[in-house]
Order: sequence, then structure tokens, then C-alpha cells
Amino acid sequence: MKNGRDFLIITNNPLVERCLREYYEVSFLPDESYRGILVLVRDKIYLGHKLYTHPLSGSVKPNETPYKSVVISKAVHGFDAGEAEIISNCIAAFDKFSPRKRPLSDKILNDFQLIDYTLLCGALDYDAAAGLSKINTPI
Amino acid sequence: MSYRVVHYINQFFAQIGGEEMAHIAPELREGAVGPGMALNMAWKGEAEIVNTIVCGDSHFAEHEKEAKAQILAWVKEINPDLFIAGPAFNAGRYGYACANVALAVKEELGIPVLTGMYEENPGADLKDKLLIVATTNNAAGMRKAAPTMAKLALKLLKGEKLGASCEDGYMNNGVRVNFFEKERGSERAVKMLLNKLADKPFTTEYPMPSFDRVAPNPAVKDLSHAVVALCTSGGIVPKGNPDHIESSSASHYGEYCIAGVESLTSDKYETAHGGYDPVYANEDPNRVLPVDVLREFEREGRIGKLYDYFYTTVGNGTAVANAKKFAAEYAQKLKQAGVNAVIMTST
Amino acid sequence: MKLELGFIEIKDIQFSNESKVENGTLFINADAVKEFVYQDDDVKACVKSVSFDIAKPGESVRITPVKDVIEPRVKVEGPGGEFPGVIAKVDTVGSGKTHVLRGMAIVTAGPIVGFQEGIIDMTGPGADYTPFSKLNNLVMVCQPVEGVHQHEYEHAVRIAGLRAATFVGELGRNVTPDESKTYETLGIREGLEKYPNLPRVGYVHMLQSQGLLHDTYVYGVDAKRTLTTIIYPTETMDGAIISGNCVSACDKNTTYHHQNNPVVADLFEQHGKTLNYVCNIITNENVYLADKQRSSDWSAKLCRLLDLDGVIVSQEGFGNPDTDLIMNTKKIEQVGVKTTIITDEYAGQDGKSQSLADADPLADAVVTGGNANMPIVLPKLDKVIGTLDYVDKIAGGHAGSLRPDGSIEAELQVITGATNEMGFNRLSAR
Repeated sequence: MKNGRDFLIITNNPLVERCLREYYEVSFLPDESYRGILVLVRDKIYLGHKLYTHPLSGSVKPNETPYKSVVISKAVHGFDAGEAEIISNCIAAFDKFSPRKRPLSDKILNDFQLIDYTLLCGALDYDAAAGLSKINTPI
Repeated sequence: MSYRVVHYINQFFAQIGGEEMAHIAPELREGAVGPGMALNMAWKGEAEIVNTIVCGDSHFAEHEKEAKAQILAWVKEINPDLFIAGPAFNAGRYGYACANVALAVKEELGIPVLTGMYEENPGADLKDKLLIVATTNNAAGMRKAAPTMAKLALKLLKGEKLGASCEDGYMNNGVRVNFFEKERGSERAVKMLLNKLADKPFTTEYPMPSFDRVAPNPAVKDLSHAVVALCTSGGIVPKGNPDHIESSSASHYGEYCIAGVESLTSDKYETAHGGYDPVYANEDPNRVLPVDVLREFEREGRIGKLYDYFYTTVGNGTAVANAKKFAAEYAQKLKQAGVNAVIMTST
Repeated sequence: MKLELGFIEIKDIQFSNESKVENGTLFINADAVKEFVYQDDDVKACVKSVSFDIAKPGESVRITPVKDVIEPRVKVEGPGGEFPGVIAKVDTVGSGKTHVLRGMAIVTAGPIVGFQEGIIDMTGPGADYTPFSKLNNLVMVCQPVEGVHQHEYEHAVRIAGLRAATFVGELGRNVTPDESKTYETLGIREGLEKYPNLPRVGYVHMLQSQGLLHDTYVYGVDAKRTLTTIIYPTETMDGAIISGNCVSACDKNTTYHHQNNPVVADLFEQHGKTLNYVCNIITNENVYLADKQRSSDWSAKLCRLLDLDGVIVSQEGFGNPDTDLIMNTKKIEQVGVKTTIITDEYAGQDGKSQSLADADPLADAVVTGGNANMPIVLPKLDKVIGTLDYVDKIAGGHAGSLRPDGSIEAELQVITGATNEMGFNRLSAR
């Protein structure tokens, strides 16, 4: 059953989609880049959705990992200038890192997915390990 | 062989005279004059001033274009390894001339430049664009300024990497440079806090970007009867840019009538902005200044009326002080015309 | 609360059959350490192997990927033991007497995840940027059991490092210290009475707490699940706060940093002279915005409740902690308590970008640990402890970071502790 809370997860991380889709509202956008997710979130914030998690979660630098998950409200609550400032600062912070076009192995991609997923679970207060065991796929 | 340097000074430092001689036109002299001697001495033969250009401060202020052209022509011909101007200390017009001449030499001739002045000198506005050594506010600081400038000049001449601004004595130019302090960070933090607690001066190592926050006015209650104006820093102007708004560092704004204009078309409007790719703005100027949508709203009764004039400038490197001045001026006009709300678009 | 630290200078480390500290040299039997480390069930279950190596200052040695750095200490008098709630029982520490094996560290290394990071160079340009190049390091390289989950493995390696440090620390129990220093924090009223004219100063210590590989533990409690609270500064000297943070090598606080917190040391240095050092306030850096809000509200509230005149705020990590830092600073200033903050910068390789991801004019007294994006070339060194496999992947490295001649082209952020946000180093920027 889906969690009744006002959470909408915007993500390009397949692990988040696999582990959490049954419990949360997940907007899974596999073709979006890290920056693309931030921009999408920004547009939602402009429309009055609430920002629940800090978009620069994790100390993994934005030019290292391709994955990003952000939690916003399902409902429109009204525009908040503070939240708009946070998301726009995040996009500015993203842009100051030089792009790195390096091939990432599946192992590394999996690790990046896992980090993004667990940080998200921490924020949602959801048991990350339980989520992983439910999909029963070794990482 | 030593490096060749051209030095720029004003009538006062050339010992021609004070304000009464500030009108003199640029002249070219051989070798070092006045403060140039101190620089030569500090260089100990590694570099040498081959020519000094002297120009009166009033002359430069009143004939900037001609004076600059003359100076550039000389410098081009001499083709030195470095161009130094000043130091100007707190002399406003002299500082302005030093910074602007140096910037022109750097940008147009590609020759490394250096100047020096007090940080509140108006010329220091250009500190992000060229190296300016920070000096005291009067000429008594020459003894300290000359060696600092000489040392920095040698670094530039030799193509050495610059240290942090506080190490090499130049004004912070917005480029963050790492260096090792004498004390560790925690100790510096404790000292800074103690100074702050004692209301003594302290210097932050990272000045927060300065924001000019404007508290928004209360929302317009009834848009359907409001007069709404459009303004932009995106450089939308009638085709041909009749008022010659500069593509960067704009010195003025334009006021244009759009009464009866349904939509901004590419045959009649364009952008004067030099800081972004103009293709899409020129293709459809409504993208920057949405006259088409506002007309639609007008017809639908969602707004009362689109104001008959729009105000426009170019926000590309335009000084904040200028931008403020423009807005203060046309805000009065808007107010007098009974405009209730303004949509300001950027790019 | 009063704690005496007895410093035993360690000038050399040698492998030996017998483990002991003698005349400033640590003799260590690697098998004995290993055996002690493996007495833990989680280590047994998750760590396939550990191997030991020694790296001394000035040697042509590169250690990478570094997980944690830990200083061996042992409690010789008073309640509790080192690393309470994790290794020792959960008793309150920070009083009595503790011996410190100074001049050395246990370094845990080896991959945790595929982009594992952290370099310690013992010589060359990289050595200037990491404080750990000046220490004699006993390096423990760990390898995971096949198929182990990352979070379980991180926990096991964390415990392994702490156990190794405990083993080595124990060797200093009966050694006479070369130097002793006493640190004392008074009760609120005592302090007011004793130093009526000195400004009351606190330390707001921000702990990384975002999640897997980004965690800090206080008496064994995940800081993510804590409310902002008060702690005696001396408690941190007994390992009350330990690092589970493996990300952002340059500005993560290792356990060594927590044990040797420079803000604590420098505030104690001035205690009773120019200021009255009241206490530490620990607050977390969570991902959830409401948590940030709550934690920073509490920081400000406690500053006010304690009637502090000023605080130093230190940070950990990149990106969203900037928001916590600014929230803390702003709110603390708004309750009338003055702040000085310590951070580091990501100003881009050219130094021209906005340094922080958040800003406020009330943060007018900032100490910086430098620009972590600064490009740096690390020459090839003769020996690598760990593996270079991850150099291409680590933060600040890029495709081709590892050059054919063995040198590494990267950003300063690959170096462990380089831009520390407790102000551990002399590095700064303007």
C-alpha cells in the first residue's frame, strides 16, 4: 500500500523506482540528467509544490554521480521564496563543476544508485535495507 | 636584457603642477619620471621604465576618447612588456584615468597591465577586470606601494603564478586563490570571534556575495483593473537601436511606445544585449518582453491595461549603481502615469 | 568536568614479534592486531582480509583510498573507555586521565564503494595539504567478503579501524607520558562566577549525518537521529564522536579530527584568558529540510539559553551542509549571539564561481579552508598502499586522472583532510 504522506519523489534513479514505487508516489524519469532533475524540481517549486529534501543531498559531487532524487509535495501548497532560492542555488552549484565525460562501470553506477537511494530513505525515514531485501536483488 | 615598461602618471606626479595644470594634453617622455624612479630602483635592473606618459586629469576626464587613442597609439608603437599606471591613491579622476587607460591597453593591445590606488577610489570599480594594487589614501603611502607594485610587476613580466590577493597586495578581484596562512583556521576563527565580540575590526576571509534584497510590495488586489507595465534588462529595443544602448555596461536606458502594438515582431524589434545568444530573442522579441501575452490578458480582461511605454536597458556587466539610477528614474515616471504593477524580465 | 591528556610521542613504528611502546617507538605485531580486530562478529562476517603497512613522513608513499584516520588513545583513570557506545561501554567519558599516542595514526584504507576516494601522500606537493603526512601511519588495508552489502561493510571497516586503534592505544597504558595537559570545563554558574568579565563562548559543531557513507556517531548513536544537544568538549577527546563518513575526502572530519578537534583545542587555549569556553553544541546535517530547520532552531535556542556571547560554527562536507551552516549562523545571530564560521569553498577550477551553495549577509565572519576545486598534480610515488584503481573515479579526479607516467591530475578535493572545515589546516583562500 502506498504511503499516505504528501511525498512525491522525483528521480532518475532506477533503484529508487524499484524499491519505493509500491510505497511512495515516484515520478521516475530515467532519461533525465542530474541537472534535468534539478530543473524539473525548480519548475515544480515555482508552481507551489513544497521542497522536502535538500536537492544537493550527499557529498558526492554533482559531476560524479548521474543520479538524483528529490522529494517534493504531491499537493500544491503555495510558492515559497526560500525553497525557490535553495533549488536555484543548487543549480548554480551544479554548474560550477566541470563536466566529466568518463565511462562508469555497472558496479560504480550501482554504488551511485545505492548512495542516492539510501540518502533518500534516510530523509523519508524509510528502512533502506528492508527496501533492498524486498526487491531481493544483490547490489 | 631587462623588461621594458611604460608608465602612466598625471600632471601632479610629473611635477608639472596641481589642479591649475590638470588641463594638459598627453605627452610622451623618455625614461622614468617621478614615482617611476622608485619602481626602477625596486626592479634593480630586472625591468626598466623606457617611457613615461603624462596626462592632465581634467584633460583625460573631458577628452577621454581622444586621450585614450593617443596613449594607445604610443604604447602600441613602443610595444613594452608591461604597462603600469599610477599609483593614484585617493585622487578620483587620476584613479579613473589609470584604471581605464590600463584596461584599454590590456584589452586592445594585449599587453599586461598593473595599476594601484586606494580601494575607495572610483577607478577601483574595475578591480575585477585588471590588477589593482591596494594603496593608502594619500601619497605618503608611496614608499609602501612602489615595492608592492614593483614586485607584482615582475611576477606579471615573468609570467609567474599570482599569489592570493592578500599575499601579493592586489585588490580582491573575485578569483579565489589558495595559499597557506601563518595560523591554522581554528586559531584564526577564535581571533576573529574575539575581535567581533570586542567590536574591533575584523576581516572575513570570504565576503558573502552582496545581495540587494527588495521586499516585495503587497500583491495587487485586483489585476483586472490594473495598469501593468513591461520593463526589461534583456535589451529589447526598436530595430536599429535608435538610442544606441550599449551591448554591455549600458550607460542609459530607453523608453519606447507600444501603444497599439499587438506583438513584437522581428522586423520592428531586436535585442541590443551582447551577453547572450540573440538568435531566439531576435526571432521573436516577445520571448524577452512578452507584449503578445500581455495583450491577450488585456483582451481577456485579466489585466486592466498594458501601459503604453516600456523601459529597457542591457543588464550585461552594467554597473549596479547605474542600474539603480535608471530604475529610480523611470519608476517615478511609471508612478506618475498611474501604473499599478510592473513585470520586469531578465534574460 | 576535567580531563588530563598524557601525550606519548611516537616517533617511529616498526613491525615486531612483540607489541609495545618503547622510547618513542611503537613496535607492533601485525598478527596480534589482526586477531584483536577479528574478535568482532561483524568484522568476521564482512571483512575478507586485512593487511598492515607502515607509512612514515617523507617516504615516497601514497595511501589510497583512505576511509578513516584514528589516533590510538587509552583511558587510564576515570569512568568509561575510548569510543564509548561503540568499543567501550556507553559510560560518559571526558574526565580522568587518557593517554594519547601522539604523532601516529591508524589509517583504514581499501575500497568501500566503487568511487572510493581519499589520498594521503607522505611526500611531495600532496603532503603539504594533508595533516596526516606528518604522522607515522599504521595502515590497515581491508578487503570485503564477496557479495557483502556496502552499508554492512562500511560498518565493519569502521569497527575494524576503531578496534585496531584500541589495541594500539592499550600499549600506551603503562607508558609515562612525555607531556601532560589538563582541560577543564566548569558548570554554568561556576564559570560565571570565576570569569565574570570574559565573553561566554561556545562551539557549534555540525556533524555530517546524511545517510550511508555520510554518517557520524555520538556515543554510538547515528547523529541523523539526534536533536541538537550539548556535550562537554573533553568528551570528544575520548572518542565520543566518531566518523562513518567516507565521502568528500578533503572536507570530511575523520575520527582523528574529532579526537583532536582544533576548535576545541584553540578555545581551551584562550579559556580563562580572553574568553570563557562554555561548551560544545552538536547539531546534525540532515537531508530532510524540516530537520535542517529544527536542528538550526535548536542550535540558536541553546546558544540563547546558555547566554552565550559568541560561537564558532564548524561544518562538514559539501553542498547541502552549506544550507545548515547558513541556517545556523543566521538564526544564532538573530538571537543576538555573534558567530564566526569555518567552511571551505567550491569556487570552480578557475576560482571564479560562487564558493558556497548558500549565503547570508549575517555570515560576516568567515574562515575558509581553501578552494577544493583547485587543480593539483601529484607526482608518481614509489609505493602505493591500497590501490590506484579508484583514482580515476574519485572526487575531483576525471577520466584520465591517472596519467601514463603514474602522476595524478586532479582537484585538491581528492586529498584527505585538505580543506578541513574545523580549521585544522593553515590553508586558506582569498
